Amino acid sequence: MSSSREKILAAVRTNQPVELPLPTVPSFEGDDSVEKFTSIVQGIGGTVVEVADATRLPEVIHQLFPADYRIASPLLPEANVPVTAQTPIEVLAAVDLAVLQGEFGVAENGSIWVPEANMLHRALPMITQHLALVLDRRNLVATMHQAYARIPSVGGYGTFLAGPSKTADIEQSLVIGAHGARSMVVLLV
Amino acid sequence: MSHSKRSNIFLLDAERTTWHDETLWFVRQKRDKAVYATPEFQELRQLASDIKDHTLSRLDFYLQQFEENARRNGVQVHWAADAHEHNQIVLGLLKRHGATRVVKSKSMLTEECHLNPYLIKHGVDVVDTDLGERIIQLRDEAPSHVVLPAIHLKKEDVGDTFHLHLGTEKGNNDPQQLTETARQHLREKFLVSEVAISGVNFAVAETGSVVVCTNEGNADLGVNLAKVHIACMGMEKLIPRLSDLSVFTRILTRSATGQPITTYTSHFSKPAEGKEMHVVIVDNGRTKQLGRPDFRNSLKCIRCGACMNTCPVYRRSGGHSYDFTIPGPIGAILSPNIDMRKHASLPFASTLCGSCTDVCPVKIDIHTQLYKWRQVLGQEGEIPASKKWSMRLLSRVLSKPAVYGLGGKVARQGLRFLPHGLTHGKGYNPWAIARELPEPPKQSFREWYAQQAVK
Repeated sequence: MSSSREKILAAVRTNQPVELPLPTVPSFEGDDSVEKFTSIVQGIGGTVVEVADATRLPEVIHQLFPADYRIASPLLPEANVPVTAQTPIEVLAAVDLAVLQGEFGVAENGSIWVPEANMLHRALPMITQHLALVLDRRNLVATMHQAYARIPSVGGYGTFLAGPSKTADIEQSLVIGAHGARSMVVLLV
Repeated sequence: MSHSKRSNIFLLDAERTTWHDETLWFVRQKRDKAVYATPEFQELRQLASDIKDHTLSRLDFYLQQFEENARRNGVQVHWAADAHEHNQIVLGLLKRHGATRVVKSKSMLTEECHLNPYLIKHGVDVVDTDLGERIIQLRDEAPSHVVLPAIHLKKEDVGDTFHLHLGTEKGNNDPQQLTETARQHLREKFLVSEVAISGVNFAVAETGSVVVCTNEGNADLGVNLAKVHIACMGMEKLIPRLSDLSVFTRILTRSATGQPITTYTSHFSKPAEGKEMHVVIVDNGRTKQLGRPDFRNSLKCIRCGACMNTCPVYRRSGGHSYDFTIPGPIGAILSPNIDMRKHASLPFASTLCGSCTDVCPVKIDIHTQLYKWRQVLGQEGEIPASKKWSMRLLSRVLSKPAVYGLGGKVARQGLRFLPHGLTHGKGYNPWAIARELPEPPKQSFREWYAQQAVK
């Protein structure tokens, strides 16, 4: 234990005020419809494609992305770049498309919870040029309150992913595709 | 140099000042739209404020709970009493791994600690990966805003910078093409960096996780490719429960840029297999601020920048005029805590209109604290002589109705025939530098009121 630790904790104890109550956060319900979710996802630069039947997923992917894409995915038999947590960086950097499973979507902000277990490699959702997240339309919640209620533990790593990578750092002009995925499509099954 | 003197430099380019003002007001309007579309926003503000109040009142407990849980997750926790110790810890970790190439995502804390110059001095190639941060790093400038670090620059400035440093064509000022160049340039850095440093938006005590919010994904890309992740956090970033994040993730970006959420809201709890994760908890004056009841509230700040975007003084003076890591209204409260003498002019860089307080998502009483700092600075003798003596004179005049009445009468007559050069002298009437004096009225209010009473 460092001396700074003791010094800091002692200073905190001396200086912190009398205890104030921790509020209970209400659940704040709201609109959890596909329409709301879709319009928000579009508003943040993503697209939503409704897939009538999960078995048609490969066909839809094929239509959306050219056949010569280097694809990493645990969901598609035609994925041609095998990725694990040990995959070298150079291999990861060459992935064109990652198709990953999203756990649930949040209608109020268009984000999708993607835990580490669904990523193959922690960097895959960001290093891929394009990202497709498969989401069960029954797994939509209205607000972040219901979202966190669904994840009592965030595991080792997990992210709420909302649209493609973007920036407005140059004169407030919105540019899609900063460092991460240049596009993000939600495949709603 | 005082804030007003630095502002004068910014104001030399009137066109740019107007543009800066309008750009930030545009962001403020986006914030309003997002906030009005969230029915329970005011309730969320109160909840956020209460959660932070509670956390600060039990900070010793939550710091230890966080540490214990993070350690259990396999994260190594370090404590730094000040900026120097923070920098030493980070450098020590880099040395232990023989790392000379580091990518960094945005962190106001590492700016506060001047980590970059420290690492560079010790032979480390440290690259900021947030686009705005990278732009100002190439220009050897400091960020001028906490969320929009390069907001003071126009696309022509960025074009020139990239031409000079990244070999883009001269005159190419297209944001899309410049961003693409930065993407390729930074990708090279991401792929070879041994260590990645990130900031922390929130630290969750009950799970020992840190949460990092970015739109570009630069934090995730850097951290998830490097062997070692060092997360640097100010101790006030703690919140008790995972469920509290529901409140903060809803207010942060809506207040900052009007977005419903950042593109990436990432939760780091454990190092990936075979890798290392470190958290450095930094005090650097925060415990001192905790002990000041009048200014403690400022520790609730979640660095959304809403107070800057709305502040009429910030928008027209630019972030660099504050000469402090955190500019704008919140910076003007935080900075005197660090160095009262150096930053004595900042609490006066406000109209006290209260707009900052109105937009603050965690309900910090910003303008009240600015007013309180003025009292403290006055008592400490940190007010410029001109302001001090004119205030003293004014208080004498205002406390004697006869003197005040006479003064008014003299001014009403005098202004009619005194030459313009005398009444508008820059040396002794700073008020008139950018304004005309009003036409003196024929009578005072009191004279007019006396006439009404007779009728």
